[in-house]
Amino acid sequence: MASLNLGENIEIDTELIKEAYSLAVEAHSKSSEKAYNVEESRRSSDPIIIISFSGCWSENGWYDGEPFGVTEINPPKLFPSLRSIGVNENALVNKAFLQRFVYKILGNPDFDREVQKAVEENKQILFTGHSSGGSIANLATIWFLEEYLKPKYNYKISPSSPLCVTFGCPLTGNHIFSHALRRENWARYFIHFVMRYDIVPRILLAPISSIKLEFQKVLKFLNAKSIKLAHASIDNFDASNFFMKVMKNASSVVSHAACNLMGNTNLLLETVSNFIPLSPYKPFGTYVFCTGNGKLVILRNPDAVLQLLFYSSQLCHEEECTDIAQISLQQHFGYENELQESFQMLNEVYLEPLEQLPLSSDSTSSDIATINSALNDLGLSTRARLCLCAAGELEKRKIGNKKSIDLKKPDIEKAMKYLEEDYQLNCGYRDLGCYDAFKLQETAKDFDANVKRLELAGIWDEIIEMLKRYELPDEFEGLGDWVLLGTRYRRLVEPLDIANYYRHLKNEDTGAYMIRGRPKRYRFTQRWREHAEGLPAESSEESCFWAKVEELRIKISSQGFEPIKKEVSLLEDQVQNWINLGVLSRDVLLEKSTFKKWWEDLPREHKLKSCIKDLKVS
Amino acid sequence: MSRIHLFSGGLELANLVVSSGVLYHSWAAVRDLYSEINQNEQQSLSVRYKVSQQPNSTTIAFFTWPACSKDYIIQGGGGEDLVSSSTLKESFPLFEFLCTKTNPQFSINKAALELFASIRDSLPSLKSQIDSKPVIITGNSLGGSVASLFTLWLLEKINLSSTKTRPLCITFGSPLVGDDGLQEATSKYPTWNSCFLHVVSDQDPIPRVLISPHNPIDSIYKPFGTFLLHSELGCACFEDSQSILDLLTATYLEGPENQNPNQVLEFYEALVQHLNHKVICKDTTQLVKRNTKSFEAGIITQLEAIGLVRPQQQQRNNGIDNLITRTERQEKKLVILKRQVFDPSKKLNDIKINMAYLEWYKKHFKDKGIGYYDSYKNSGNLSDLNVVRYKKILTCYWEEMVDEAEKKPQKEGASFRTRWLFAGTNYRRMCEPLDIAEYYNKGLKDYINQGRPKHYKQLEQWLKEIEKPASNPSQLKKQNVASSLTEDSCFWAHVEEARISCELLSSRESSIGEKESSKHNLVEFENYVLSLMKNYAVSPEIFLPRSSFMLWWKEYEEIIRKGIMGAAYYSPLTDLMKSRSYQNYATGGLEIP
Repeated sequence: MASLNLGENIEIDTELIKEAYSLAVEAHSKSSEKAYNVEESRRSSDPIIIISFSGCWSENGWYDGEPFGVTEINPPKLFPSLRSIGVNENALVNKAFLQRFVYKILGNPDFDREVQKAVEENKQILFTGHSSGGSIANLATIWFLEEYLKPKYNYKISPSSPLCVTFGCPLTGNHIFSHALRRENWARYFIHFVMRYDIVPRILLAPISSIKLEFQKVLKFLNAKSIKLAHASIDNFDASNFFMKVMKNASSVVSHAACNLMGNTNLLLETVSNFIPLSPYKPFGTYVFCTGNGKLVILRNPDAVLQLLFYSSQLCHEEECTDIAQISLQQHFGYENELQESFQMLNEVYLEPLEQLPLSSDSTSSDIATINSALNDLGLSTRARLCLCAAGELEKRKIGNKKSIDLKKPDIEKAMKYLEEDYQLNCGYRDLGCYDAFKLQETAKDFDANVKRLELAGIWDEIIEMLKRYELPDEFEGLGDWVLLGTRYRRLVEPLDIANYYRHLKNEDTGAYMIRGRPKRYRFTQRWREHAEGLPAESSEESCFWAKVEELRIKISSQGFEPIKKEVSLLEDQVQNWINLGVLSRDVLLEKSTFKKWWEDLPREHKLKSCIKDLKVS
Repeated sequence: MSRIHLFSGGLELANLVVSSGVLYHSWAAVRDLYSEINQNEQQSLSVRYKVSQQPNSTTIAFFTWPACSKDYIIQGGGGEDLVSSSTLKESFPLFEFLCTKTNPQFSINKAALELFASIRDSLPSLKSQIDSKPVIITGNSLGGSVASLFTLWLLEKINLSSTKTRPLCITFGSPLVGDDGLQEATSKYPTWNSCFLHVVSDQDPIPRVLISPHNPIDSIYKPFGTFLLHSELGCACFEDSQSILDLLTATYLEGPENQNPNQVLEFYEALVQHLNHKVICKDTTQLVKRNTKSFEAGIITQLEAIGLVRPQQQQRNNGIDNLITRTERQEKKLVILKRQVFDPSKKLNDIKINMAYLEWYKKHFKDKGIGYYDSYKNSGNLSDLNVVRYKKILTCYWEEMVDEAEKKPQKEGASFRTRWLFAGTNYRRMCEPLDIAEYYNKGLKDYINQGRPKHYKQLEQWLKEIEKPASNPSQLKKQNVASSLTEDSCFWAHVEEARISCELLSSRESSIGEKESSKHNLVEFENYVLSLMKNYAVSPEIFLPRSSFMLWWKEYEEIIRKGIMGAAYYSPLTDLMKSRSYQNYATGGLEIP
């Protein structure tokens, strides 16, 4: 039994891939009956359920809306992970594909039932699709991962991880989509086969307005091919125009991305970008490029894949255009023969490490000859190779940034240890909670605590800046140790920041802490935790307790108790809950605490009914 | 730390400009305008322009007619003459905003300026046609120079903080417009420079006429913005001004001496078409060796695209190698320089730690009943020595910040400042008293007019520009007065002056004039202190028993007792001081009508 090694310990039986392909293509002709098909493969020792999805051949099945047909995943109920956590931005996804998945697949109760059956029978599921069917398979796989593999679901049996294999699949989501899948460590389940010239994976790099004229004809042609009409053909003129337009747009996207990969410093880039709609799509998962002569080129860096999508189908000279344009459409259905040939040779080449790729096409020394000939088979010029290198360098730099941050962990721990132990103990001697002690700033310990607060702020602000610019590896916001450290830091130090804020009356000119003053280092770390534990957004605000108290104090002093009653009760409920959970220290109940003093001044009849009237310090 | 590998993105940037259609689109606007001109019309050189609105952008094209030859630019139109900004200030003050303190002067080509001046009256109407859509400003030859000047003028008129409104100026074959002063002025603020793209064909003499052919780098004229150079092999962008001068000269393929100037239009027509067709074709670089570094490889591909390095040349000659090395060095220098942009936020957290130390120092002496101002003035304490160090670090940082903000052109400087002005104000209120203490310790007088460091004045000025008018102090402000800083950072200078006045009044040697003005100053001072207290704008630390302010009060009380201020002298402040009701001030309990 031959298997294709994709690196990172992932191997797939080549027969299974071929079976998936034939089922994926077959799904097209069955699409009138059912939007998906379920088959059980018995080729391998362990039974595998193959679910295949059919494609769609109408323009609005690809582009629902100008210019690129994307929509924000919102509300994120279906795909809660598809977002960037800290910066709090949802992913964009192709709207037509999303809707097809939601209505045609999820809307069919049989689908969920069949998936559940497979899980209960402990069978692995392989989702597959050809053309836009591949995009549906992508979404189905993510849905499966969210539904069955997130830690919050405790099934009796742990389902085996799914696989998603697509052939000539169009791009599906944007950079956040790709970022999120890498963060969740899910990108590894996706394997995309792409023929060197197949135009379909490149189409969504062009806005619909630019290809409107030819797209109908192209879809008509592809549809005819999909149901195996023998004499399907397309006019040379239309094919060339379509190819040229898609490639020209792809070229813009790729050059723009390359400028950024290269750390461009010329702001002309921004100025020019204003005048053009740039496609937001970005690849994810493992790409297997079929060179056309039996080689398989494997890479998984999304930036590099994007570059390769353009460069591998560049023309050598203008005269080739008509031929290549025809090939670019024919190859969309050429996977069977190509895979047959490739799997016989099993000649796979990994483009890694990208930053060490040979820049010149005649690099013949033995150690890189294989890689070099694979690059030549994909027709990559020096310019293309430089772009791939830049993608590799960028990833390397991100990893370097992560390392330098990891080196600061001991500093963070040390400063936090001081606050957690020495300072808290000292405040205890003074019968004060840390918040009140810090706000009073009476002793040398308070001063030391302030210095520690500022030192920590410096380190965390730097991390947040990097996250905002996506300068850390995609996995970062999902790393358990950092989520925990961030949560500890937030609970420990945010009260001090709040104390500082209200001590200096920053609310007078800036506004309430929660609205205008809360530093990003706390907003981000709070979202990390909420995501990691599957909590609803903004449910983990215990570290802002003091800001809520201060704001209520101010409100009551200006408006009186009555209008604020509800907010007071809400805070009291939260306090009780937080104290029970142990995420809020009981020292807030000390006699001299701002909270206690404030609470004591509330109207008597309110206090008698209050849920926290019986809470005690210890 | 591993070394950062740099890349040169000149090829990618050029490719984006072409594949996005921006180049094609702007050239079409120029061609369109040209076709409207009556070819037979012979008249003196004049500027034509045309505004066209597209759904997503606005295009303004400039054209000068009749097309002018190389000779015209050198001799006819005033030639290489430059007009300096100081001359312009009187006759045509549209570019005043480009001057900064560090770069007070620049000059513009006279011919270009006169053409631009000829459409002076149309400027407001042109501007009114620019709306929220992004705008492309274009032109060829001298028309491109007019487009450049129009764009420069526009930079002051529109809000550049959002990239959406940033104009893009694309010139085709324009002569250079200004000297190193202009180059310096535009490069000071990167977004300004980012608005200009100059397209130059290797066959066009016009963009090269103002460069001295033998020593291009020493030319009086300097390029600014990005240049897109073109040859039959492709195109690439360059940004460093020295490289551009160098490459403009090196790429020129000399044509017939007396070219028909209209032919130039054909060059660019062909150029744009050529690039447009080639955009998805492969480049043919063959000269990069295996271990070439990424940046050098990038530069080689760029030079190859503009026709300077040719694959056929089996042996690269020294001249080419030198050019590669030179271009690489220049472009790299620029990239590294731009990467190290001044980023004050990076150090701000460190600076806050220093401020925390000062705050602590202040607190320490408040507890000792003297106040940090007087403690520092009498220094000798060990912690005073440390403070000197913190203060020095802070002062260096803020002097640099203020300097940096001043170097920026007015509008951009302002937005740069607001981000840290709060911290700067805090610094000023905390540290300036220490400078005042040092000043009066030396026996000097009149700090405010003669001794005040410049950066304090600037910081105060900038705060005034954004501050809202003062309202009555809130209850919370009153309650918190104990922990706030005195708002007027020069407060202690006023105290010192008041004490000098007291001394003059009590001294027998003072003249009558001196005594009268001293009395006047003291009354002023009383009003000043009272108004501060009314607004809760002064720290209660001034009432600490050993503070200079209390020392002044003792001296002043004595003067009043002697009747020097007049018999039964009475004022609200003296009443407040005598009755000791100032003691209620620290807790916010003092009401002053």
